[in-house]
Amino acid sequence: MRRNLFALPAAALAAALLLAGCGGSSGSDSSSAPAADPGPETGTITFTGTDNAETYQPVIKAFEAKNPGIKVTYTQIPFDQFNATMQQRLSAKDAGIDVYTVDEPRVSQLAAKGFLVDLSDLDGRVKGSFSATAYETNRFRDKLWSLPMWNSTQFLFYNKTALAKAKVAPPTADPEQRWTWEQVEAAGRKAMQAGATKYGLFMEQPEAYYQLQPLAESLGGGSGIEGDDALTPAVETDGWKKAMQWYGATFASGLSPRGIGGFQTGPVFANGDVAFFVGGPWDLKIFGSSKIDWGVAPLPYFQGGKPVTPTGSWSLGINPASKQQGMARKFVEFATLDAAGNLATTSTTTIIPANLEAQKQYTPKMDAFSGAKTAGAAAITAYESEHTAVSRPVSVGYIQFEEVMAKAFADIRNGTNPDTRLHEATRQLTEAWRSIK
Amino acid sequence: MRQRQGLIALAFLAPALVCLAVLRIVPAISAVVESFYSESLLRGGRVFAGLGNYTDLLAGKEFRQSVGVTLLFTVLVNPIQVVVSFLLAVLFTQRAAGARLWRTLVILPIATPPAVSAVIWSVIYRPDGLANGVLERLGLPAQPFLTSPSQVLASLIVLLSWIGVGYWMLFLIAGIQEIPVEVREAALLDGAGPWRRMVSVILPLVRRPLAFVLVADTVSNLLVFAPVQILTKGGPNGNSNLLMYDVYNRAYAIGDIHVAQAEVVILVALTLVIVAGQFRLLRGDQ
Repeated sequence: MRRNLFALPAAALAAALLLAGCGGSSGSDSSSAPAADPGPETGTITFTGTDNAETYQPVIKAFEAKNPGIKVTYTQIPFDQFNATMQQRLSAKDAGIDVYTVDEPRVSQLAAKGFLVDLSDLDGRVKGSFSATAYETNRFRDKLWSLPMWNSTQFLFYNKTALAKAKVAPPTADPEQRWTWEQVEAAGRKAMQAGATKYGLFMEQPEAYYQLQPLAESLGGGSGIEGDDALTPAVETDGWKKAMQWYGATFASGLSPRGIGGFQTGPVFANGDVAFFVGGPWDLKIFGSSKIDWGVAPLPYFQGGKPVTPTGSWSLGINPASKQQGMARKFVEFATLDAAGNLATTSTTTIIPANLEAQKQYTPKMDAFSGAKTAGAAAITAYESEHTAVSRPVSVGYIQFEEVMAKAFADIRNGTNPDTRLHEATRQLTEAWRSIK
Repeated sequence: MRQRQGLIALAFLAPALVCLAVLRIVPAISAVVESFYSESLLRGGRVFAGLGNYTDLLAGKEFRQSVGVTLLFTVLVNPIQVVVSFLLAVLFTQRAAGARLWRTLVILPIATPPAVSAVIWSVIYRPDGLANGVLERLGLPAQPFLTSPSQVLASLIVLLSWIGVGYWMLFLIAGIQEIPVEVREAALLDGAGPWRRMVSVILPLVRRPLAFVLVADTVSNLLVFAPVQILTKGGPNGNSNLLMYDVYNRAYAIGDIHVAQAEVVILVALTLVIVAGQFRLLRGDQ
C-alpha cells in the first residue's frame, strides 16, 4: 500500500510532463483548419468585445428575435486588457468564447496562430457588401478570416467658446479647406494665452498607432512597415522623424498634457480644458452631453504634406475552439452581412457601420447626432473614406509592431528624443520579428 | 490499521495534492519545458531551441534593463515597507486615543483591489491631479511623477506602499500583542524610554513575524504587475519595466510565449536566490 501512495504523485508528475509536452504545440496548425462541427442548432453563445454591454444590446435583441432558440451573452473586456487577455484565452483553446471582436490589422497574426475560423465560403458575399479596403484587411493568405463590422475615421473637435475668447476663427467643416497642424498649433496656443483653456491640442489615444499613423503618413513617412513579407521596420524615415519631433514638442511645450491617458482623455475636452481634440465618430454622441459648445472639422495635415486619415475598426471572428460554430456563424453574419443587423450594432455607439448598404442609410444621420454641433460630420466621413483613408499595414507581425510603437510613442510623449527612440524601436522590432521569421 | 490510516490521510490530502499538481507543478514543469522551444509563425511549427531563448534574453538590452530595474526596486521597496509597517504597528499598539480608528484606516487599502488602487493613483499622479495640488498648496513646483524616467519607480513605490503597509502591519501587530505584558511592564519599571523599549524589547521579540513579513513582502513585490500595466506600461524608457510585467508583455502583448517562459524561470530563480539570502541573513542573527 505504501508503494501505491508514492505511485500517485509519480503518476501525476508523469501526466504533468505529458501535458507540458503537449501544451505548447498549439498555434501552428493554422491555415488548414479542419471542417468544424457546427454544433447544436439552439442554445447560448458568448460574444466577447471591448465595448460596454449597451452597445450590443440592440443587435443581440434583433438577432434573438430573428433566431428563436439562440441566446447571445456578451462579455466585456476593457480595451487596455483586451488583446492580451484574448491571446491568453485563445491560446488556451478556451471554448467559452464563440464570437469575438477582431482589430482588423491583427487578423493576419490571429489567423496565422490558428485563432480564427476560416470563413472563405462567404468570400463572394463579403466582397459585394463591403468596401475593397474592408474586404482586403480581413483576408490573409488568400482566405477570409473575419467579417468587417465597423469602420472609423477621425475628426478635429474644437471648443467654440474657447476659440471665440481667443479671437480665433474656427476651422471649417469643408474637407477641401482643412487646417494644417501648424494652424491648429498656433490657434491652440492663442487659446491658452487668452486663458480660455488649459491646453491647446490633445489626441484621444495619444499613444496609439491608429491615431498617430496619419502624422507620419501626411509627411510621406510611410506606414512604418515595409518589405515583401511586411516584416522590415521603416520608422526612421524623414516623415516619421519629422512627425515625431513635432509630436514630442507639443507635449514638451505644454500644448498637450503629459500623464493623462487611457480613457481620461475625452473628459479633458468635455470639461472645456482643451481647445482642439482629435477623436472618432463615437465622440459625436459622447460629447453631446457635455456642457461646452463645440464643432467638428476634418483631421488636419502637415503644411506641404498630404491629408491622411485613419480607417478600419472591429471585425467579428469565430474562435476555432468554439463548440457552437453554427450559431456563432449565424450571429456574425447577422451583425455584419445583414444591413439591418449591422445597423443595429451602431444604434447606441456612433460608429460607422462597415456594411455599404447600412452605411448608406447611416451616414446622412451623423450630422444630427448632437444637434448643430455635429453639422458637417456626414460630409467629412464620406469625403475621408473616398480620398484620405489609409488603413493600418497588413503584416503577420502587426501585433508586435503596435505594441513596440505604443511604447515608443509614450516615451516620445514623455520627453525622450524622437530620433533615438525611433532608432530604438527599429532595433526592438527587428528583435521581435526575428522569432516570427 | 496503519494502512487504513494512511488511506484516510491520503483521502484528506488528495484535494490539496491535486490542486498542488494542477495549479503549481504542471505549470512550473510546463514553463521549464516550453522555455527550451521556439516557434515560427511564418515557417510554422515548434522547434527545440535548447538554451536559445535564455541566451537571446540575456543578450537583449530590455531584459538586462528589466533585471536592473527589478533589483533596484526590490532593494528600495522592501526595507521601506517593512520599516514603515513596523513603525506603524508599534504606534498602533500604544494605548492612545483613536488608535483603533487609525489602524482601520491604514488597513483599508487592502480591501481595494490593486487594479482599482492603480486607477485611483493614476488620477492622483496626473499633471493636474491631487499630488500636484498638494505640492502647489505647499508652494512647491509641480512634479511629472509617472512621466519622468527618474521619478517613476519612486512613484510606484509610494503607491505600492500605500497598498501594502497596512497588510504587513497586521502581522506585526499580532506579533507585538503576543509579547507578554510582564516583559513590557518590566521594561517600563526599569525606566526604559519609548525608543529603548522599541529597539531593545519589541524588535527582538517580533523577529519571527518580522522575518515572515520581509520574505513574503519580497516575494509579493517581485510579482508586482497590475500597477505597472495600468499606470506606466514599463515606461518611460523602460524605467518601470519590472520583470513580472516584462514576462506578461512578452507572452501576451508581443506573443512570444517561449521566451516569456524562459523569463519566468529566471524570475523564479532570482526570487529563490533573494529569499534564500534573506533566510541566511536572518538565521545569522540568531
